[in-house]
Amino acid sequence: MKTKTVQQVLPPPAPHMVGDGFRVHNFFPGGYNMGQKRMSPFFLLDYNAKIDFSPRETPRGVGVHPHRGFETVTIAYQGAVAHHDSYGHSGVIRAGDVQWMTAASGVLHKEYHEAEYSKQGGLFQMVQLWVNLPAKDKMSTPKYQSITAGEMNHYDIPGNGGRVDVIAGEFNGVKGSAFTFTPIHLYNVRINKGTSLTINLPENYNTGMVVIEGGIKVNESADAPQDNFVLFKNDGDTFTITATEDSVVLVLSGEPIDEPIAAYGPFLMNTHEELEQAFSDFNRGVFGYLED
Amino acid sequence: MLQAFKEYLQTKTSISDEQFQRITEGVVTRKIKKDSVLLKKGDVTSYTFFVMKGLLRAYSIDEQGKEHVIQFAPENNWVGDRNSFCFNEPAIFIVDAIEDSEVVCIDQHFFERTGQHAPQFNRFNVIALNNLIRFMQRRVNLLLSATAEQRYLDFIELYPSLTLRVPQWMIASYLGITPESLSRVRKELAKRNFKSI
Repeated sequence: MKTKTVQQVLPPPAPHMVGDGFRVHNFFPGGYNMGQKRMSPFFLLDYNAKIDFSPRETPRGVGVHPHRGFETVTIAYQGAVAHHDSYGHSGVIRAGDVQWMTAASGVLHKEYHEAEYSKQGGLFQMVQLWVNLPAKDKMSTPKYQSITAGEMNHYDIPGNGGRVDVIAGEFNGVKGSAFTFTPIHLYNVRINKGTSLTINLPENYNTGMVVIEGGIKVNESADAPQDNFVLFKNDGDTFTITATEDSVVLVLSGEPIDEPIAAYGPFLMNTHEELEQAFSDFNRGVFGYLED
Repeated sequence: MLQAFKEYLQTKTSISDEQFQRITEGVVTRKIKKDSVLLKKGDVTSYTFFVMKGLLRAYSIDEQGKEHVIQFAPENNWVGDRNSFCFNEPAIFIVDAIEDSEVVCIDQHFFERTGQHAPQFNRFNVIALNNLIRFMQRRVNLLLSATAEQRYLDFIELYPSLTLRVPQWMIASYLGITPESLSRVRKELAKRNFKSI
C-alpha cells in the first residue's frame, strides 16, 4: 500500500446564495478553479456551512429549475429540505438523510426549507454534490434514491471510535445502498476525538473530504479544520485521519469519467449540440411543468 | 480589459489588433452591479453600451407604474436609448442590470472614428443597423398579430438560455403578456411534449 498524500487543504471560498435558502461555498469546479475534471465523476460541490436561519412563515429556498445529464446528491446535516419535481415526486430530506436524484434525461424541481423547520428556524447545514453521468446514461430515465439516516449501512470503528455511514460504494466490507452508474465511494465518517482511521481507496480515484464538524489531522501531518476541503493527490491508495475533536467528515472518491464535458448552468452534457438540445427541450416543456 | 469587445468586432469585421488599439483609445468600461441602473429615464446621454459580461435590459414604465421590457441585452449585444444617444433627447427607457455586468461605454464619435480608421467597419455597421430594423419589425409584428405561444416560441428560438437567467415576469413583460398567460403557455407546451414515466 502506498500513501495517498494531501495536495491541498482548502478553506471555504466566499459564499454565495442559491435562491434565498442556501448559502453555499463552492469548492469546485469554480471555487478554486480546479477545472471541470479534477474531481470527476464529481462535477460540483456546494457546501452550506452551518448557518442559523431565523424563523419564517414562507420557506426560503430555490424555485423551479431544470437539470439534465447528471445526478444531484443532497446530504443533510442540520435542518430539513422539502423538494418537488415535474414527475410528481416529493419528499423531505432531514438531518442525516441523503437524497440521490438522477436527473439524467431531465427534470424540473424546486427545493425549499421544510415548512416546520422554516417556522422554527435554526441551524442549517447541507452538502450538494453533482455527480456526472457517463454519455451512455445521460439520457436515462430520471429516478430518486432516498436513503434515510435510520436505513444507512454503517461500519463501527473499533474501540468505540465512532462509525462510518456508507452512503455509496463500500467501506471495510460494508456496502452503501445507493446505486451508482460509475464506481463511487461516499461516506460520512463520524469519528471520536483521538481516534485514527485508515481509509483505502484506489489510487486513480479522485478523492476529497469535507470536514463537516470538528477537526482532523490527515496522514499525521496535515491539519484540516472544520469547513475545510481536503484534496488528495492521485499518488497512493491509503490514508489515515485522526480526529483532534469529535468530528464528522464527508469522504468522496470516484473513478474519473474520461469523456468531454459541455456544461452550462444546470445542464451537464458531452457536446455543445447536446447543450443546445437541453435548452430547447427545457424551453418546450419536454422536462414537464412545475408550478413555482 | 476590452478583450470581449475586440473578439466581437474581429468576428464581425477584419479589424486588426492595431486598428482596434487606435479606435478604442480613451474608451472606458463600466461594471454594474445586479439591479443597478445604467441609464435613467430623462437622461440625455452621449453613450450607448456594448455588453462584455452579464445581462441588462431596457424598459419603460407606464403611467400605472407597469414595466414594459423593450430589450434584453446579454453578452455581445448593444443596449442604450437611441433617442438620447443619437438625437440628444431625454431617454425614454431605463437600462438596468439583471446580473452583475460589465459594459463598454461607446460615445457618439466612435462609429465615425472607427469608419475612418477601419473602413471595413462601415459595411458591418450598415448590416448591423439593418438587422436591428429587421428584428424590430419582426417584434412589432409579433406583438400586433401573434398568439402568446407564437411569441414565446420565437423568444426561445432567439434567446434559448435567457429563460434560465431572467425571471418569468420579465419574460412575460417582454412578450407583452401577463405572467399567468406565460405560465399557461408553458403548461400547454409541457402537456404536448412531456413524456411522463
